[in-house]
Amino acid sequence: MHVTVSHLAKAYGALWALRDVSLDLPPGEFVALLGPNGAGKTTLLKLLAGLLSPTAGDIGFDGHKFRYSDTRHRSAIGFLAPGEHLYENLTVRENLIFFTSLYKQYGAVSRIGAVLEEVGLKQRSEEYVATLSSGMKCRLSIAKWKLLDPGMLLLDEPYGVLDGNGVDLLERFLRAQRNKGSVLIMASHHVSRALSLCTRALILHQGRLTFDETRQQPWHSLTRAFGEFMPHGESWNS
Amino acid sequence: MEFLSQAVLLFKKDLLLELRRRESLLTMFFFGTLLLFVFHFSFDLAPDRIAEMAPALLWLAFLFTGTLGLAQLFEGERANHCLEALLLSPMDRGAFFVAKTCFNLVLMVLVEIVIIPLFWILFNLPNWELVPDLFLVTLLGTVGFCVLGTLFAAVTLKARARELLLPLILFPLMVPVILATIRCMEAILRNGELGDALPWLRLLVGFDVIFLTVGVLIFDWVIEF
Repeated sequence: MHVTVSHLAKAYGALWALRDVSLDLPPGEFVALLGPNGAGKTTLLKLLAGLLSPTAGDIGFDGHKFRYSDTRHRSAIGFLAPGEHLYENLTVRENLIFFTSLYKQYGAVSRIGAVLEEVGLKQRSEEYVATLSSGMKCRLSIAKWKLLDPGMLLLDEPYGVLDGNGVDLLERFLRAQRNKGSVLIMASHHVSRALSLCTRALILHQGRLTFDETRQQPWHSLTRAFGEFMPHGESWNS
Repeated sequence: MEFLSQAVLLFKKDLLLELRRRESLLTMFFFGTLLLFVFHFSFDLAPDRIAEMAPALLWLAFLFTGTLGLAQLFEGERANHCLEALLLSPMDRGAFFVAKTCFNLVLMVLVEIVIIPLFWILFNLPNWELVPDLFLVTLLGTVGFCVLGTLFAAVTLKARARELLLPLILFPLMVPVILATIRCMEAILRNGELGDALPWLRLLVGFDVIFLTVGVLIFDWVIEF
Protein backbone atom coordinates (compact mmCIF):
# COMPACT_ATOMS: atom_id res chain seq x y z
CA MET A 1 0.00 0.00 0.00
CA HIS A 2 1.26 3.48 -0.91
CA VAL A 3 0.17 6.17 1.54
CA THR A 4 0.26 9.89 0.80
CA VAL A 5 -0.59 12.65 3.22
CA SER A 6 -0.86 16.21 2.02
CA HIS A 7 -1.12 19.31 4.22
CA LEU A 8 -2.98 17.41 6.92
CA ALA A 9 -4.19 19.49 9.85
CA LYS A 10 -6.47 18.93 12.80
CA ALA A 11 -7.86 21.51 15.22
CA TYR A 12 -9.84 20.84 18.38
CA GLY A 13 -11.72 24.11 18.71
CA ALA A 14 -9.08 26.83 18.75
CA LEU A 15 -6.27 24.38 19.52
CA TRP A 16 -4.29 23.05 16.57
CA ALA A 17 -3.21 19.50 17.40
CA LEU A 18 -1.61 18.98 13.99
CA ARG A 19 -0.57 21.46 11.30
CA ASP A 20 0.43 21.06 7.68
CA VAL A 21 1.80 17.50 7.75
CA SER A 22 2.76 16.06 4.36
CA LEU A 23 4.20 12.57 3.83
CA ASP A 24 4.81 10.07 1.09
CA LEU A 25 5.09 6.52 2.39
CA PRO A 26 5.87 3.81 -0.18
CA PRO A 27 5.06 0.12 0.47
CA GLY A 28 7.31 -1.43 3.10
CA GLU A 29 8.06 1.88 4.80
CA PHE A 30 8.39 1.56 8.58
CA VAL A 31 8.06 4.94 10.26
CA ALA A 32 9.09 5.67 13.83
CA LEU A 33 6.85 8.51 14.97
CA LEU A 34 8.57 10.33 17.80
CA GLY A 35 7.89 13.38 19.88
CA PRO A 36 7.06 14.51 23.39
CA ASN A 37 3.64 14.04 25.03
CA GLY A 38 0.99 16.15 23.33
CA ALA A 39 3.00 16.52 20.13
CA GLY A 40 0.13 15.19 17.98
CA LYS A 41 1.32 11.60 17.43
CA THR A 42 -1.95 9.91 18.39
CA THR A 43 -3.93 12.54 16.50
CA LEU A 44 -1.94 11.78 13.34
CA LEU A 45 -2.49 8.02 13.82
CA LYS A 46 -6.23 8.51 14.36
CA LEU A 47 -6.51 10.72 11.28
CA LEU A 48 -4.76 8.05 9.22
CA ALA A 49 -7.10 5.43 10.69
CA GLY A 50 -10.16 7.49 9.80
CA LEU A 51 -11.14 7.74 13.46
CA LEU A 52 -10.89 11.53 13.25
CA SER A 53 -11.82 13.73 10.34
CA PRO A 54 -9.16 16.26 9.33
CA THR A 55 -9.72 20.00 9.57
CA ALA A 56 -7.66 20.41 6.39
CA GLY A 57 -5.64 18.27 4.02
CA ASP A 58 -6.01 14.88 2.38
CA ILE A 59 -4.93 11.28 2.83
CA GLY A 60 -4.47 9.00 -0.16
CA PHE A 61 -4.12 5.22 -0.46
CA ASP A 62 -2.60 3.85 -3.66
CA GLY A 63 -3.40 7.08 -5.49
CA HIS A 64 -7.04 7.23 -4.35
CA LYS A 65 -8.29 9.81 -1.90
CA PHE A 66 -9.15 8.15 1.42
CA ARG A 67 -12.88 8.23 1.84
CA TYR A 68 -14.13 7.42 5.27
CA SER A 69 -17.22 5.77 3.84
CA ASP A 70 -15.18 3.44 1.61
CA THR A 71 -15.12 0.08 3.37
CA ARG A 72 -12.27 -1.17 1.13
CA HIS A 73 -10.02 1.53 2.50
CA ARG A 74 -10.99 0.80 6.08
CA SER A 75 -10.39 -2.94 5.70
CA ALA A 76 -6.77 -2.16 4.75
CA ILE A 77 -6.07 -0.16 7.92
CA GLY A 78 -4.95 -1.74 11.17
CA PHE A 79 -4.59 0.02 14.49
CA LEU A 80 -2.68 -1.81 17.18
CA ALA A 81 -3.27 -0.26 20.59
CA PRO A 82 -2.24 -2.98 23.04
CA GLY A 83 -5.00 -4.38 25.21
CA GLU A 84 -7.61 -2.06 23.70
CA HIS A 85 -10.24 -2.77 21.06
CA LEU A 86 -11.10 -6.14 22.63
CA TYR A 87 -14.37 -7.23 24.23
CA GLU A 88 -13.67 -8.17 27.83
CA ASN A 89 -16.73 -10.42 28.15
CA LEU A 90 -15.94 -12.47 25.07
CA THR A 91 -13.35 -15.23 25.16
CA VAL A 92 -10.00 -14.92 23.41
CA ARG A 93 -11.23 -17.11 20.55
CA GLU A 94 -14.62 -15.37 20.31
CA ASN A 95 -12.90 -11.99 19.98
CA LEU A 96 -10.77 -13.25 17.12
CA ILE A 97 -13.72 -14.92 15.39
CA PHE A 98 -15.77 -11.73 15.76
CA PHE A 99 -13.13 -9.43 14.30
CA THR A 100 -12.10 -11.75 11.47
CA SER A 101 -15.79 -12.05 10.51
CA LEU A 102 -16.25 -8.28 10.75
CA TYR A 103 -13.28 -7.82 8.38
CA LYS A 104 -14.77 -10.54 6.14
CA GLN A 105 -11.56 -12.55 6.48
CA TYR A 106 -13.46 -15.80 6.85
CA GLY A 107 -10.44 -17.87 5.81
CA ALA A 108 -8.50 -16.54 8.78
CA VAL A 109 -10.82 -18.32 11.21
CA SER A 110 -9.09 -21.61 10.48
CA ARG A 111 -5.72 -20.03 11.40
CA ILE A 112 -6.84 -18.81 14.82
CA GLY A 113 -5.49 -21.86 16.66
CA ALA A 114 -2.08 -21.57 15.01
CA VAL A 115 -1.82 -17.83 15.65
CA LEU A 116 -2.81 -18.26 19.30
CA GLU A 117 -0.09 -20.90 19.59
CA GLU A 118 2.44 -18.42 18.14
CA VAL A 119 1.52 -15.69 20.62
CA GLY A 120 1.42 -18.12 23.54
CA LEU A 121 -2.32 -17.91 24.22
CA LYS A 122 -3.43 -21.32 22.99
CA GLN A 123 -4.07 -22.57 26.52
CA ARG A 124 -6.15 -19.47 27.34
CA SER A 125 -8.25 -19.44 24.16
CA GLU A 126 -11.53 -20.26 25.95
CA GLU A 127 -11.02 -17.75 28.76
CA TYR A 128 -12.62 -14.33 28.90
CA VAL A 129 -10.37 -11.44 27.90
CA ALA A 130 -11.21 -9.80 31.25
CA THR A 131 -9.27 -12.56 33.01
CA LEU A 132 -6.07 -12.00 31.00
CA SER A 133 -3.15 -9.96 32.29
CA SER A 134 -2.24 -6.71 30.49
CA GLY A 135 0.69 -8.42 28.77
CA MET A 136 -1.53 -11.20 27.50
CA LYS A 137 -4.02 -8.67 26.17
CA CYS A 138 -1.12 -7.09 24.24
CA ARG A 139 -0.35 -10.52 22.79
CA LEU A 140 -4.00 -10.95 21.84
CA SER A 141 -3.92 -7.59 20.03
CA ILE A 142 -0.90 -8.84 18.07
CA ALA A 143 -2.75 -12.08 17.25
CA LYS A 144 -5.74 -10.07 16.00
CA TRP A 145 -3.67 -8.04 13.52
CA LYS A 146 -1.65 -11.09 12.51
CA LEU A 147 -4.91 -12.63 11.36
CA LEU A 148 -6.28 -9.48 9.72
CA ASP A 149 -3.02 -8.68 7.90
CA PRO A 150 -3.66 -4.99 7.08
CA GLY A 151 -1.94 -3.03 4.30
CA MET A 152 -1.17 -0.20 6.71
CA LEU A 153 -0.62 -0.85 10.40
CA LEU A 154 -0.68 2.01 12.86
CA LEU A 155 0.83 1.31 16.26
CA ASP A 156 0.25 3.45 19.34
CA GLU A 157 2.75 2.55 22.07
CA PRO A 158 2.67 -1.10 20.98
CA TYR A 159 5.19 -2.34 23.54
CA GLY A 160 2.72 -1.68 26.36
CA VAL A 161 3.66 -4.03 29.19
CA LEU A 162 5.03 -6.82 26.99
CA ASP A 163 7.73 -9.01 28.54
CA GLY A 164 10.97 -9.81 26.68
CA ASN A 165 9.42 -12.72 24.83
CA GLY A 166 6.41 -10.59 23.90
CA VAL A 167 8.67 -7.83 22.55
CA ASP A 168 10.45 -10.39 20.33
CA LEU A 169 7.08 -11.65 19.15
CA LEU A 170 5.88 -8.13 18.30
CA GLU A 171 9.08 -7.21 16.47
CA ARG A 172 9.06 -10.46 14.46
CA PHE A 173 5.49 -9.67 13.43
CA LEU A 174 6.36 -6.08 12.47
CA ARG A 175 9.37 -7.16 10.40
CA ALA A 176 7.21 -9.74 8.61
CA GLN A 177 4.56 -7.10 7.84
CA ARG A 178 7.22 -4.71 6.52
CA ASN A 179 8.63 -7.46 4.29
CA LYS A 180 5.14 -8.09 2.91
CA GLY A 181 4.97 -4.43 1.81
CA SER A 182 2.73 -3.07 4.56
CA VAL A 183 3.25 0.51 5.67
CA LEU A 184 3.90 0.68 9.41
CA ILE A 185 3.74 3.81 11.52
CA MET A 186 4.72 3.37 15.14
CA ALA A 187 4.32 6.04 17.81
CA SER A 188 6.43 5.03 20.78
CA HIS A 189 8.48 6.38 23.62
CA HIS A 190 10.70 3.28 23.38
CA VAL A 191 12.95 5.29 21.08
CA SER A 192 15.84 2.86 20.66
CA ARG A 193 13.49 -0.04 19.89
CA ALA A 194 11.47 2.02 17.41
CA LEU A 195 14.64 3.25 15.69
CA SER A 196 16.12 -0.25 15.47
CA LEU A 197 13.12 -1.33 13.36
CA CYS A 198 12.30 1.74 11.31
CA THR A 199 13.29 2.77 7.82
CA ARG A 200 12.39 6.39 8.49
CA ALA A 201 11.89 8.65 11.49
CA LEU A 202 9.48 11.53 11.99
CA ILE A 203 9.49 13.94 14.89
CA LEU A 204 6.37 15.87 15.75
CA HIS A 205 6.58 18.85 18.07
CA GLN A 206 3.56 20.98 18.96
CA GLY A 207 1.66 19.55 16.02
CA ARG A 208 4.33 20.33 13.43
CA LEU A 209 6.58 17.91 11.62
CA THR A 210 10.04 19.08 12.64
CA PHE A 211 12.06 16.11 11.37
CA ASP A 212 11.57 13.65 8.51
CA GLU A 213 14.52 11.54 7.37
CA THR A 214 15.17 8.05 6.09
CA ARG A 215 17.38 5.84 8.22
CA GLN A 216 21.07 6.70 8.37
CA GLN A 217 24.03 5.15 10.15
CA PRO A 218 25.15 6.98 12.23
CA TRP A 219 22.16 9.24 12.58
CA HIS A 220 23.61 12.48 13.98
CA SER A 221 20.81 14.71 12.68
CA LEU A 222 18.26 12.67 14.62
CA THR A 223 20.41 12.85 17.74
CA ARG A 224 20.45 16.63 17.45
CA ALA A 225 16.72 16.89 16.65
CA PHE A 226 15.49 14.46 19.27
CA GLY A 227 18.03 15.15 21.98
CA GLU A 228 15.98 17.86 23.64
CA PHE A 229 13.08 15.45 24.26
CA MET A 230 15.19 12.72 25.92
CA PRO A 231 15.27 12.48 29.71
CA HIS A 232 18.35 14.12 31.20
CA GLY A 233 21.40 11.89 30.95
CA GLU A 234 19.75 9.33 28.65
CA SER A 235 20.58 8.52 25.07
CA TRP A 236 19.55 6.05 22.41
CA ASN A 237 21.73 3.74 20.35
CA SER A 238 21.47 4.28 16.62
CA MET B 1 -26.85 -9.60 1.89
CA GLU B 2 -23.52 -8.39 3.29
CA PHE B 3 -25.42 -5.70 5.19
CA LEU B 4 -27.67 -8.31 6.82
CA SER B 5 -24.83 -10.71 7.69
CA GLN B 6 -22.96 -7.84 9.40
CA ALA B 7 -26.10 -6.81 11.29
CA VAL B 8 -26.61 -10.42 12.42
CA LEU B 9 -22.96 -10.72 13.51
CA LEU B 10 -23.19 -7.52 15.59
CA PHE B 11 -26.59 -8.49 17.01
CA LYS B 12 -25.33 -11.94 18.06
CA LYS B 13 -22.33 -10.34 19.74
CA ASP B 14 -24.59 -7.99 21.72
CA LEU B 15 -26.88 -10.86 22.70
CA LEU B 16 -23.92 -12.95 23.86
CA LEU B 17 -22.53 -10.06 25.91
CA GLU B 18 -25.95 -9.47 27.50
CA LEU B 19 -26.36 -13.17 28.31
CA ARG B 20 -23.04 -13.01 30.15
CA ARG B 21 -23.44 -9.68 31.90
CA ARG B 22 -27.24 -9.76 32.36
CA GLU B 23 -27.12 -6.10 33.30
CA SER B 24 -29.63 -4.43 30.99
CA LEU B 25 -32.36 -7.07 30.97
CA LEU B 26 -32.41 -7.67 34.73
CA THR B 27 -32.37 -3.93 35.50
CA MET B 28 -35.19 -3.27 33.04
CA PHE B 29 -37.24 -6.21 34.28
CA PHE B 30 -36.98 -5.29 37.96
CA PHE B 31 -37.57 -1.61 37.34
CA GLY B 32 -40.63 -2.35 35.19
CA THR B 33 -42.06 -4.70 37.81
CA LEU B 34 -41.39 -2.17 40.54
CA LEU B 35 -43.25 0.51 38.58
CA LEU B 36 -46.24 -1.78 38.17
CA PHE B 37 -46.38 -2.33 41.92
CA VAL B 38 -46.18 1.43 42.52
CA PHE B 39 -49.05 1.95 40.05
CA HIS B 40 -50.99 -0.85 41.71
CA PHE B 41 -50.77 0.80 45.12
CA SER B 42 -51.39 4.31 43.73
CA PHE B 43 -54.33 3.82 41.36
CA ASP B 44 -57.60 2.04 41.59
CA LEU B 45 -58.70 1.12 38.07
CA ALA B 46 -62.48 1.18 37.98
CA PRO B 47 -63.86 -1.00 35.13
CA ASP B 48 -65.18 2.05 33.24
CA ARG B 49 -61.75 3.72 33.30
CA ILE B 50 -59.67 0.74 32.19
CA ALA B 51 -59.57 1.78 28.50
CA GLU B 52 -58.57 5.29 29.46
CA MET B 53 -55.93 4.51 32.11
CA ALA B 54 -54.34 1.13 31.31
CA PRO B 55 -52.57 2.10 28.03
CA ALA B 56 -51.11 5.26 29.57
CA LEU B 57 -49.83 3.44 32.66
CA LEU B 58 -48.39 0.61 30.61
CA TRP B 59 -46.58 3.03 28.32
CA LEU B 60 -45.25 4.99 31.23
CA ALA B 61 -43.65 1.76 32.46
CA PHE B 62 -42.32 0.92 28.96
CA LEU B 63 -40.85 4.38 28.50
CA PHE B 64 -38.96 4.38 31.78
CA THR B 65 -37.69 0.81 31.48
CA GLY B 66 -36.81 1.40 27.83
CA THR B 67 -34.81 4.49 28.73
CA LEU B 68 -32.81 2.40 31.21
CA GLY B 69 -32.04 -0.04 28.41
CA LEU B 70 -31.02 2.77 26.06
CA ALA B 71 -28.61 4.19 28.63
CA GLN B 72 -26.83 0.81 28.66
CA LEU B 73 -27.04 0.23 24.90
CA PHE B 74 -23.52 1.33 23.98
CA GLU B 75 -21.83 0.46 27.28
CA GLY B 76 -20.28 -2.71 25.79
CA GLU B 77 -18.63 -0.53 23.14
CA ARG B 78 -17.50 2.19 25.53
CA ALA B 79 -15.37 -0.23 27.52
CA ASN B 80 -11.90 -0.80 26.14
CA HIS B 81 -12.51 1.60 23.20
CA CYS B 82 -14.42 -1.13 21.38
CA LEU B 83 -16.51 1.45 19.54
CA GLU B 84 -13.26 2.71 18.02
CA ALA B 85 -12.47 -0.86 16.93
CA LEU B 86 -15.87 -1.14 15.25
CA LEU B 87 -15.58 2.22 13.50
CA LEU B 88 -12.11 1.29 12.31
CA SER B 89 -13.43 -1.90 10.73
CA PRO B 90 -15.09 -2.09 7.29
CA MET B 91 -18.46 -2.59 9.01
CA ASP B 92 -21.47 -0.85 7.47
CA ARG B 93 -22.65 1.70 10.05
CA GLY B 94 -26.24 1.18 8.93
CA ALA B 95 -25.88 -2.50 9.87
CA PHE B 96 -24.55 -1.39 13.24
CA PHE B 97 -27.68 0.75 13.72
CA VAL B 98 -30.00 -2.09 12.73
CA ALA B 99 -28.18 -4.53 15.06
CA LYS B 100 -28.39 -2.14 18.03
CA THR B 101 -32.06 -1.37 17.32
CA CYS B 102 -32.93 -5.07 17.09
CA PHE B 103 -31.01 -5.84 20.27
CA ASN B 104 -32.83 -3.07 22.13
CA LEU B 105 -36.13 -4.28 20.68
CA VAL B 106 -35.51 -7.84 21.89
CA LEU B 107 -34.80 -6.58 25.42
CA MET B 108 -37.93 -4.44 25.47
CA VAL B 109 -40.15 -7.17 24.06
CA LEU B 110 -38.89 -9.62 26.69
CA VAL B 111 -39.74 -7.09 29.39
CA GLU B 112 -43.16 -6.39 27.85
CA ILE B 113 -43.95 -10.12 27.69
CA VAL B 114 -43.70 -10.09 31.49
CA ILE B 115 -45.13 -6.64 32.20
CA ILE B 116 -48.38 -6.80 30.21
CA PRO B 117 -49.74 -10.03 31.80
CA LEU B 118 -48.48 -8.87 35.21
CA PHE B 119 -50.41 -5.61 34.76
CA TRP B 120 -53.56 -7.59 33.98
CA ILE B 121 -53.07 -9.76 37.06
CA LEU B 122 -52.23 -6.91 39.45
CA PHE B 123 -55.23 -4.81 38.40
CA ASN B 124 -57.45 -7.87 38.10
CA LEU B 125 -58.53 -6.84 34.61
CA PRO B 126 -60.99 -8.81 32.47
CA ASN B 127 -60.69 -9.25 28.68
CA TRP B 128 -57.59 -11.47 28.60
CA GLU B 129 -58.52 -12.23 24.98
CA LEU B 130 -57.52 -8.66 24.05
CA VAL B 131 -53.97 -9.04 25.34
CA PRO B 132 -52.48 -10.48 22.06
CA ASP B 133 -53.95 -7.55 20.03
CA LEU B 134 -52.66 -5.07 22.58
CA PHE B 135 -49.27 -6.72 22.46
CA LEU B 136 -49.12 -6.38 18.65
CA VAL B 137 -49.90 -2.65 18.84
CA THR B 138 -47.37 -2.29 21.66
CA LEU B 139 -44.80 -4.02 19.46
CA LEU B 140 -45.25 -1.38 16.74
CA GLY B 141 -44.87 1.38 19.32
CA THR B 142 -41.80 -0.34 20.76
CA VAL B 143 -40.18 -0.50 17.31
CA GLY B 144 -40.64 3.28 17.03
CA PHE B 145 -39.19 3.80 20.49
CA CYS B 146 -36.18 1.57 19.77
CA VAL B 147 -35.44 3.13 16.38
CA LEU B 148 -35.51 6.70 17.66
CA GLY B 149 -33.96 5.72 21.00
CA THR B 150 -30.98 4.00 19.37
CA LEU B 151 -30.42 7.00 17.12
CA PHE B 152 -30.38 9.44 20.03
CA ALA B 153 -28.44 7.11 22.33
CA ALA B 154 -25.71 7.33 19.67
CA VAL B 155 -26.09 11.13 19.39
CA THR B 156 -25.63 11.56 23.16
CA LEU B 157 -22.90 8.93 23.39
CA LYS B 158 -20.13 11.43 23.97
CA ALA B 159 -22.17 13.85 26.09
CA ARG B 160 -21.16 14.16 29.73
CA ALA B 161 -24.65 13.94 31.25
CA ARG B 162 -26.00 11.56 28.62
CA GLU B 163 -28.33 9.68 31.02
CA LEU B 164 -30.09 12.98 31.69
CA LEU B 165 -29.85 14.33 28.17
CA LEU B 166 -31.23 11.26 26.39
CA PRO B 167 -34.78 11.33 27.85
CA LEU B 168 -34.88 15.13 27.54
CA ILE B 169 -34.30 14.87 23.79
CA LEU B 170 -36.09 11.60 23.18
CA PHE B 171 -39.39 11.98 25.04
CA PRO B 172 -40.70 15.04 23.14
CA LEU B 173 -39.84 13.36 19.83
CA MET B 174 -41.62 10.21 20.97
CA VAL B 175 -44.98 11.99 21.35
CA PRO B 176 -46.41 10.79 17.98
CA VAL B 177 -45.49 7.17 18.79
CA ILE B 178 -46.85 7.28 22.34
CA LEU B 179 -50.03 9.06 21.29
CA ALA B 180 -50.69 6.70 18.37
CA THR B 181 -50.02 3.56 20.43
CA ILE B 182 -52.18 4.71 23.34
CA ARG B 183 -55.07 5.64 21.02
CA CYS B 184 -54.87 2.22 19.31
CA MET B 185 -54.75 0.39 22.65
CA GLU B 186 -57.63 2.47 23.96
CA ALA B 187 -59.74 1.57 20.91
CA ILE B 188 -58.98 -2.12 21.35
CA LEU B 189 -59.89 -2.00 25.05
CA ARG B 190 -63.15 -0.13 24.38
CA ASN B 191 -64.42 -1.92 21.27
CA GLY B 192 -62.32 -5.07 21.01
CA GLU B 193 -61.04 -3.83 17.63
CA LEU B 194 -59.18 -0.87 16.13
CA GLY B 195 -62.20 0.70 14.40
CA ASP B 196 -61.73 4.49 14.31
CA ALA B 197 -58.14 4.18 15.52
CA LEU B 198 -56.91 2.77 12.19
CA PRO B 199 -55.35 6.13 11.12
CA TRP B 200 -53.31 6.06 14.37
CA LEU B 201 -52.05 2.60 13.44
CA ARG B 202 -51.04 3.91 10.00
CA LEU B 203 -49.21 6.77 11.65
CA LEU B 204 -47.38 4.28 13.86
CA VAL B 205 -46.31 2.09 10.95
CA GLY B 206 -45.29 5.17 8.95
CA PHE B 207 -43.23 6.51 11.83
CA ASP B 208 -41.44 3.15 12.24
CA VAL B 209 -40.63 2.83 8.53
CA ILE B 210 -39.53 6.45 8.08
CA PHE B 211 -37.26 6.61 11.12
CA LEU B 212 -35.76 3.17 10.50
CA THR B 213 -34.83 4.28 6.98
CA VAL B 214 -33.54 7.64 8.18
CA GLY B 215 -31.52 5.91 10.92
CA VAL B 216 -29.84 3.53 8.48
CA LEU B 217 -29.02 6.42 6.15
CA ILE B 218 -27.67 8.90 8.70
CA PHE B 219 -26.08 6.62 11.31
CA ASP B 220 -22.73 6.89 9.56
CA TRP B 221 -22.79 10.62 10.27
CA VAL B 222 -24.31 10.26 13.75
CA ILE B 223 -21.74 7.82 15.10
CA GLU B 224 -18.70 9.53 13.55
CA PHE B 225 -16.09 10.76 15.99
